[in-house]
Amino acid sequence: MAMVVDYKHDSSFPYWTSIRRRFAPDSPFFSSGNIERELLAKQVALDLTEDERNQLEKMIDNDARGIFCPIVGCDARLTLLEDFEDHYNARHTASCSVCSRVYPTSRLLSIHVSEAHDSFFQAKVARGYAMYECLVEGCDLKFKNYKGRQQHLVDKHKFPTSFEFFKKAHPSKKQRLKNQQKRAVNKKDEEASSKMEVENEMMEGLVSAVSKLSTSDSSPSTVSFGRHNARGLTFVPRSVQPPLQKK
Amino acid sequence: MADDSPASHRRDPIKSSVGNVAAQRRRQNAVTVGKERRESLVRAKRLCRVGPSGDGDVPGEENDMVTDEEGFLLDAQTSSAVEDLKSAIAYQGKGAMQKRVNALRELRRLLSKSEFPPVEAALKAGAIPLLVQCLSFGSPDEQLLEAAWCLTNIAAGKPEETKALLPALPLLIAHLGEKSFLPVAEQCAWALGNVAGEGEELRNVLLSQGALPPLARMMLPNKGSTVRTAAWALSNLIKGPDPKAATELIKVDGLLDAILRHLRKSDEELATEVAWVVVYLSALSNFATGVLVKSDAILLLVERLATSNSLQLLIPVLRSLGNLVAGDSHTTSTVLIPGHEITDGVIKVLVKCLKSDHRVLKKEASWVLSNIAAGSIEHKQLIYSSEAVPLLLRLLSTAPFDIRKEVAYVLGNLCVTPTGGDGKPNLIEEHLVSLVQRGCLSGFIDLVRSADIEAARLGLQFMELVLRGMPNGDGPKLVEQEDGIDAMERYQFHENEDLRNMANGLVDKYFGENYGIDE
Repeated sequence: MAMVVDYKHDSSFPYWTSIRRRFAPDSPFFSSGNIERELLAKQVALDLTEDERNQLEKMIDNDARGIFCPIVGCDARLTLLEDFEDHYNARHTASCSVCSRVYPTSRLLSIHVSEAHDSFFQAKVARGYAMYECLVEGCDLKFKNYKGRQQHLVDKHKFPTSFEFFKKAHPSKKQRLKNQQKRAVNKKDEEASSKMEVENEMMEGLVSAVSKLSTSDSSPSTVSFGRHNARGLTFVPRSVQPPLQKK
Repeated sequence: MADDSPASHRRDPIKSSVGNVAAQRRRQNAVTVGKERRESLVRAKRLCRVGPSGDGDVPGEENDMVTDEEGFLLDAQTSSAVEDLKSAIAYQGKGAMQKRVNALRELRRLLSKSEFPPVEAALKAGAIPLLVQCLSFGSPDEQLLEAAWCLTNIAAGKPEETKALLPALPLLIAHLGEKSFLPVAEQCAWALGNVAGEGEELRNVLLSQGALPPLARMMLPNKGSTVRTAAWALSNLIKGPDPKAATELIKVDGLLDAILRHLRKSDEELATEVAWVVVYLSALSNFATGVLVKSDAILLLVERLATSNSLQLLIPVLRSLGNLVAGDSHTTSTVLIPGHEITDGVIKVLVKCLKSDHRVLKKEASWVLSNIAAGSIEHKQLIYSSEAVPLLLRLLSTAPFDIRKEVAYVLGNLCVTPTGGDGKPNLIEEHLVSLVQRGCLSGFIDLVRSADIEAARLGLQFMELVLRGMPNGDGPKLVEQEDGIDAMERYQFHENEDLRNMANGLVDKYFGENYGIDE
């Protein structure tokens, strides 16, 4: 209320006093304005917009002029398929160069790389350092083991108990070949080579252990882990479909 | 610290958007069909009917409602689609990816068909764990998109249906990441926006899972539907009532800049969503309010009010301005200084709102004016001599009740000096006399006659000013002429003690035994 009840004076009448009135966002004062806000389901045309049409054309345009990167806002144009894949991976994916898993953020990728492929990381873990970072940005807590971090996610951040950051999976034959090729190329460099060997061993170890592991849910884990070109040319913007008949 | 909202805690019943005829028809159909679907509260949730590439079902205008039989059919189809998805996920052979995407697409279509999708059937068939699996890292974009789309529409349903999304939340949040394919990020934001719109409990879960920073970053680009969706989702996420999230949001690097940029340059649709973010920032967080007041925000809000004619935009912009004025005394004391160009600009756009046809604009503009009129004497003089007063006087006699109440606040505030320290605020006789001469008294007496306690109180308080302050003791005569005595006497035995005492006190003091005898 705007009126301050003022009982200090003889007549004890609450005189008019001018003060600011503030309302909480859910106050009934604002309800009529709120109602104007929400319309029902957005009515968007079925037809492709100009932009979408252009994108589609770009995708199909794979003659000598090359392929345009389909990602919104990216102007890259590449002439060879491999170049495109490399461009895509470098610019638009956070994919692990060791095991090809793909992550939606650089941060998650770097956490994955440390935890899964870094022998120094493992060494520190073995010595009892708290190395496993909380996955939630800004939390900054660290834990001594994967399970501890997992428990923290569930307890503090209300993650579902079924959530698993690192799902062990069987890389496809193609991936394993590619990994071997990469390893072959790098063997020239001694330092890299030894590091690679450690990683190789880890990878082999992971691969061999796969079949023995069960995932946390009962259904078989058939989710693929990021063929790194899964998002390349295989994704085509869904083309125009004949409009569904109105009922 | 300014006072709070009026005593009435009644929540208004949820109404459909007035101008939307098709919606009203659907609503009527829903009643006749006799199935109880969700009450569309001021719709915090949005159904996704059409996807980013334009495919999807054209939302049916007329025959959107499902009959009972069709409803059963839809449910059966949905259960079946979930089963298909289950086997598609289990399948490991050639073409597995395409199988999965197709199954997801089928489910998505069923969930996008009508305004009331078969969510319950989907949940019962076990859709959620399957959809969660489809969201794992590294999944193909089409898969992520379809899965997120399904979840979006599941989340648009009843509270318990929205809650069912809990296992999916960390993954949806993760896919907001900067490396995600943009349409995927947008669809996840949409789903999360629906979850946040459900209620405080889910908001807190999302916040504790770190949903705010990535959503905030999605607002930073200059344009795009993703920015708009992210802004909408954020407005749901920070709407409190805990101010923590709002305070956290304004602190995000680059966010204030982005808000100002969008307010300044973006198209009206995007500016509208951003304005709603500002509404919540300014209503909930003192810190955010302070930051906004010190920035160019007020100037930009005034610009929009001056140049736009879109009601959708004007409402949150006006309200943001109102919140900034109401929430921080610095606004009127250091920014809106009388005589400065910006202050003239504010008055001008508020006048524009008073002139508009829209009820909400008139009401909330009056509210803002009343808060400015609660400032210094110079503020009161500024408003008093502006174009606002004739408009307000007219509104006081002709406008709907809720507007008249706000107008009363403005006019009354113009007649008293600033409240400071103890003591009766003094009258500003010049203003009081002029306004009364221009006929405002009857409007106040009407408020006394209304059933609304707050309004009656206002009316009585103004009458007191008149009785006390009109020169030459003219007050009582004027009040009597407008049937004021009669209005007050209605409270003689009124159940509300406060009003009773006020009315009786005035009658006793000014219309006692000696009244009329000195004529």
